[in-house]
Amino acid sequence: MASPPSPPLLEIEGLCVSYATAGGTLRALSGVSFRLQPGEALGLAGESGSGKSTVALALLGLLGPEAALSARRLRFGGRDLLSLSPEERRRLRGGAMAIVFQDPFTALNPSLPVGRQVAEPMVFHRGLAESEALAAAIGLLHQVGIPRPEVVARSYPHQLSGGMQQRALIATALAAEPELLILDEPTTALDVTIEAQILDLFESLRRSRRLSILFISHNLGVIHRLCDSVCILYAGEVCETGPTKAVFRDPAHPYTRGLLASLPRLALGPRKRLSPIPGTLPDLEKPPPGCLFHPRCPYGDRRCGEQSPLLSSPGPERSVRCWKAQEIRGVAWEEAAGGNGRPAARGDEPADQAVAPLVVVRDLRKRYRLGGFWDALVWEKPEGQGWPRPAWEPKFLRALDGVSLAIAPGEVLGLVGESGCGKTTLGRTILRLIDPDEGEIVIDGRAIARAPERKLRPVRRAAQIVFQNPDSSLNPRKTVGEIIGRPLERFRIASGAGLRRRVGELLDMVRLSPSYASRYPHQLSGGEKQRVGIARALATSPRFLVCDEAVSALDVSVQAAVLNLLEDLRRELGLAFLFITHDLSVVAHLAHRVMVMYRGGICEEGTIAQVLRPPFHPYTEALLSAVPRIDGERARIRLREEGPAPEFAGRGCRFQGRCPRLLGEICRTVAPPVLEPLPGHRILCHHRLETLAAVASPIADEAPPPGA
Amino acid sequence: MPAGPPEPGARRRLPGNLLAGAALVLVIAAAALVGPWVAPFPYDEFHIRDRLKAPDAVYWFGTDEYGRDVFSRVLAGSRISLFMGVAATAVSLFCGVALGLTAGFFRGRIDEWLMRLMDLLMSFPPVILGLLILAVTPPSLWKTVLAVGIVYIPAIVRVTRSVTLELAQEEFILAARARGENAGYILFREILPNAWPPIIVEASLRVTFAILLGAALSFLGMGAQPPSSDWGLMISEARSYLDQAWWMAVFPGLVMCLTVVGINLLGDGLREWLDPRLRHGGA
Repeated sequence: MASPPSPPLLEIEGLCVSYATAGGTLRALSGVSFRLQPGEALGLAGESGSGKSTVALALLGLLGPEAALSARRLRFGGRDLLSLSPEERRRLRGGAMAIVFQDPFTALNPSLPVGRQVAEPMVFHRGLAESEALAAAIGLLHQVGIPRPEVVARSYPHQLSGGMQQRALIATALAAEPELLILDEPTTALDVTIEAQILDLFESLRRSRRLSILFISHNLGVIHRLCDSVCILYAGEVCETGPTKAVFRDPAHPYTRGLLASLPRLALGPRKRLSPIPGTLPDLEKPPPGCLFHPRCPYGDRRCGEQSPLLSSPGPERSVRCWKAQEIRGVAWEEAAGGNGRPAARGDEPADQAVAPLVVVRDLRKRYRLGGFWDALVWEKPEGQGWPRPAWEPKFLRALDGVSLAIAPGEVLGLVGESGCGKTTLGRTILRLIDPDEGEIVIDGRAIARAPERKLRPVRRAAQIVFQNPDSSLNPRKTVGEIIGRPLERFRIASGAGLRRRVGELLDMVRLSPSYASRYPHQLSGGEKQRVGIARALATSPRFLVCDEAVSALDVSVQAAVLNLLEDLRRELGLAFLFITHDLSVVAHLAHRVMVMYRGGICEEGTIAQVLRPPFHPYTEALLSAVPRIDGERARIRLREEGPAPEFAGRGCRFQGRCPRLLGEICRTVAPPVLEPLPGHRILCHHRLETLAAVASPIADEAPPPGA
Repeated sequence: MPAGPPEPGARRRLPGNLLAGAALVLVIAAAALVGPWVAPFPYDEFHIRDRLKAPDAVYWFGTDEYGRDVFSRVLAGSRISLFMGVAATAVSLFCGVALGLTAGFFRGRIDEWLMRLMDLLMSFPPVILGLLILAVTPPSLWKTVLAVGIVYIPAIVRVTRSVTLELAQEEFILAARARGENAGYILFREILPNAWPPIIVEASLRVTFAILLGAALSFLGMGAQPPSSDWGLMISEARSYLDQAWWMAVFPGLVMCLTVVGINLLGDGLREWLDPRLRHGGA
């Protein structure tokens, strides 16, 4: 962006925030500086704990009384924020400066109609009468792309889907006609297709209203998609700023490079092993001397550990806080980190079809009754005369609607789909944590779909699961040693000294020091907890692992390390994986084959190379084009949004409600046929193959042609 | 926001109300323990010449209509009252935790039946329910304890059930099921250790209710029997002499009040101290 003549809307210089703690002072932000021009979108990127949200709260004046704030300059629209009275700050907040938080499900008040919540800031900040404000709110809801805004204005938040709630929340933020919109991870809780729509909305709002946006996100793809410039935070310090495209093309700071190298890419071709950033964030109560990043930096030398680096400028409008920014140009992170000696993540070796599959699932079905007993009661009026008669007609959610799959030993099957599509139910049902209604499950030659629990023992040992949420998957009252040791005890694999030795080995396997055995979960970081979860699953030497969003809750650098670990374990132990995730990039990085799930059924499956290339199922195509990525732009396909209650009547194509390529009546009434463009590649769609094949691939094709 | 896991050795300050409550309860418990040895007179010794005497240097809390020393009686009564509170709560705790775990973990029909039964118990006012249980047989201290315990089972069941319901959703429970652990292991080794804090807090508050209910039942003649010096019974006996000897009712009432306040402070303090959100350093 060429520097406009107008003064910046927001100027921050030397912003410091610290908290007094029992152990001293915790420096959450130290010397953060950036500027935001009117109409500009600035991305604030960094991992959890980098201080991103603290910047937003400091701007709004919402830091608690225990925070000590200082800044050389903190100006908004020419006014000095530090000299304003609390009342003036309050008027500014939600007025000229509005914020949208991460979670739409908790940010809206559940007991007020949406329209009132959008209207409220207009009454407070713009002095409109209640009725005027309500009318304006409806107009605003329309502007943020909510269909039938009059109806939605009278609805309560729980009646709207996540995407709609987020739109309503954005409308509340826009209600007072702000000049600056602060977005704190506004799309993180949303599905990728919905996220794409919300990002489109931000872009159009920016243009139509000349809004300035401060966009806070850990997702570099999203920032690349929306922001003109980016500011990378590390441990409360700005380590690099500059125009987004330039920074991502040619990152100058080692941390930026590490972040980018950790990111799994949605691209074809042989995978490169990810290069995670070693180590963890420094303790901000006792920051290391010199550069805050040097303990984790592969480029670092003695000076880095002694003197704090100053900002230098590697290019126009760019700045970087690194002593060696000039020296290390052209030395790739991977090279410096020395990660290239290891084998590539996935050699694209086709899974051996000759070997009998380890896991076979046939026509698995599970449905849940929606509502209670009384909800299913309907009163039927008979034809002609007579009293209405009660009838019991429960509604069902088809969580699994005839799913079949097979996984060979040593194979990674990726399962992707949006939240609520049934992928977690599938993973849990295969392990019999949920009992199926119908269908067969065979693991390691044992049919277990209807076996009683006592007969499941050998399967329980051979098939294990890794969960999504590292905070909930470990019992907080047990030590790591007890957690990992329990499966050994239970299956009488080891006891006494042998058990302790084995626990040490397992910890070593997930790259944790054996001393962790005596720690409690709350003393571990998120990535460490996830490793303990993996070690627990590996304790029984299983042959099959279900990974249910196992890396989704982790920061990219940690995620990369865990992905590498899973890949190594697969190689060393010949493990088969069912890898459940909503993140296509992760699947593209790790899996051999992938299944795309929608509302309880599979709509496309095949090898990675097959699924990532045309022909696409319309849903796959939309998913792929919605993934925000840091490499290149492409055509975007946007899906309509359906109501929050996913009910598929069981007739026609399950994707009919949102399909952008709907053919007409046939899609609503007839189940789609299975198209098989290549052996193993199956698409369930009424379109002809040629039509589906005649689309440009939304992802860069770096690979040799298929079948080679 | 502050990053990283909390310090392994991080210590938190004990809340003030916990300390105050603990101090009060300790003093009263000590009085109950050593009461018979420090009391100036046996609690049931008549001093016919000193009937209805106001508090003075000899009879600190005055005397009652038979000339018994009120201070000694209050001291002896603390045993009965504390025993009543603690034992009755133990009864509710034992039954309540077992039922609550069952209902919360197994859900479904058994949960439905148990909770409706609890609703039934709760639909009686506590005193009426206690009287109902005691009325059918001749009164005794043990039966009062049992009756009071039964009255407060539903409260413990509800707390236990709600934490169990919540914990049963946690992924570490799924992990336990994925290795085929039986219900006993999951309930007692995985769920119960995490469920204790709210249950303990609830129970500590129930002790005061139990003491009050026990006193109320004694007051109504269904609990401790004369010449026992239960506080409720003492107040009941003092009723007819209120205009001549206020000390007969005021001192047992005052001590009972202090006990209840102390235990409540202790319970509130425990709640603060055991709250996991506070324990994990707000992270």
